[in-house]
Amino acid sequence: MTFLWGLLWGLAAVMFIAGGAVIGVWWERKVSARIQMRLGPQQIGPAGVLQMVADVPKLLFKEDIVPDNADKPIFRYAPMAVFAPIAMSVAVIPFWAGWAPLDSTVGMVFYLAFPSIGVLGILLSAWASHNTLATIGGMRAAAQMVSYEVPRSLAVLSVIILAGSLQPTEVMEAWQWWWVPLTFVGFLVYFIASIAEMNRGPFDLPEAESELVAGYFSDYSGFRWAIFMMGEYGALISASLFGAAVFLGGYRWLPGVAGLAVFLVLAMVLITAVMWIKWTFPRLRQDQLMTFCWTVLTPLAIVQVVVAGVVALWL
Amino acid sequence: MSANDLALAAAVTVMVAGAAGTVLTSDVPRLVISLGTFLLGVAAAFLVMGSPLLAVSQVFVYVGGVLVLVLFALMMVRRSGNEKPKVATRHDIGGAVIALGVFVLIASVMAPVAADPTPVVTAPNDIGAALLGPSLVAFELVGVLLLAALLAVLVIVKGGEDS
Repeated sequence: MTFLWGLLWGLAAVMFIAGGAVIGVWWERKVSARIQMRLGPQQIGPAGVLQMVADVPKLLFKEDIVPDNADKPIFRYAPMAVFAPIAMSVAVIPFWAGWAPLDSTVGMVFYLAFPSIGVLGILLSAWASHNTLATIGGMRAAAQMVSYEVPRSLAVLSVIILAGSLQPTEVMEAWQWWWVPLTFVGFLVYFIASIAEMNRGPFDLPEAESELVAGYFSDYSGFRWAIFMMGEYGALISASLFGAAVFLGGYRWLPGVAGLAVFLVLAMVLITAVMWIKWTFPRLRQDQLMTFCWTVLTPLAIVQVVVAGVVALWL
Repeated sequence: MSANDLALAAAVTVMVAGAAGTVLTSDVPRLVISLGTFLLGVAAAFLVMGSPLLAVSQVFVYVGGVLVLVLFALMMVRRSGNEKPKVATRHDIGGAVIALGVFVLIASVMAPVAADPTPVVTAPNDIGAALLGPSLVAFELVGVLLLAALLAVLVIVKGGEDS
């Protein structure tokens, strides 16, 4: 029975992320259209919503190309290994008082741990493509994602220390409004590192279209390419929901349904901010990217952990 | 046989299949997938045995960290063109002897514990308290060992340059 429920929740999570990705793509196109004066996503249908209807069939009906030299079985299925862990990570996000789809006692670590399987999927798809650009993109992605996991985990650790629990619903119960100013640096580190984790601009060196022709997914087309995109938007949605919950307080601001609404609005503000950043800032250089992670973000995150640890003594 | 036993048997089957695949294949991506399968099997076994924190840490450190670094290193040394790199060794027998030795070592340490397999601490908070309490010295020593290993790598990498 538990297994059946798990299966059901799994299906729901996949539908949630896939649907969210479609809306996310449309929203991204609207945000970028506002910033860069692009006309399509603003004008097709009311508020441009029909752009979604145009985008999805386009991806589904494109030819599914598998290069002759590729390692075919791995090339075909590696994208799933990128997407599935991200869909899984949504399971532990606390949406409601005492309720998360999977209310695990180690949910906070679960959230950080599972998306890291996706790096493996990226490396495997890059390797299976047998293509120089994909290899470089894959290696950049691995170096970047493994490195940025360090400050990201440390930033989340500051909240874990304050709450004294690894269970997301318990963290939410323990949450106090003054944690927002106290962990603000940690939140910034989490936010920036999350953008790097999902390989989005200005940290999109692994897929840099102007130098690497999309990097690790340069040989992918049609719906397999769409799975990579769903993974990226899934990571965007999941990271924004998690950040809005544990750092910004999520549903705790107001009681009942109003709280849920505040939580979702906070998450949407974060999603829009990530898009705004992507369409505003130029791409970093690889060495700047790594230096920034190890000499700025990681020390900041450690300071945040120490601050949280000292304050936790007084709690 | 309870549902728990069945789940544990499934996890062990996954582990054995992954381990066999890791040893028997020489094609790098398949090797990594096999090793990943084995490591996820270990995580599943931890989960079945009631240690979710160990299971999640296993995924975090080994699948998301170590395995990625192994694959990363293999990609770095990969030669150009369509040549598929193979992982081959000329030291089959020596490797098997070392593996057997490690197995005997771990088994002899685990044997007294195996008589009573109920874990002493499983709750995340208790594990944290144990690591920073009774086991503090061992915990910190492991940290020193890791630091020494990192420094050794730096020395080996920089060793080739004249300074």
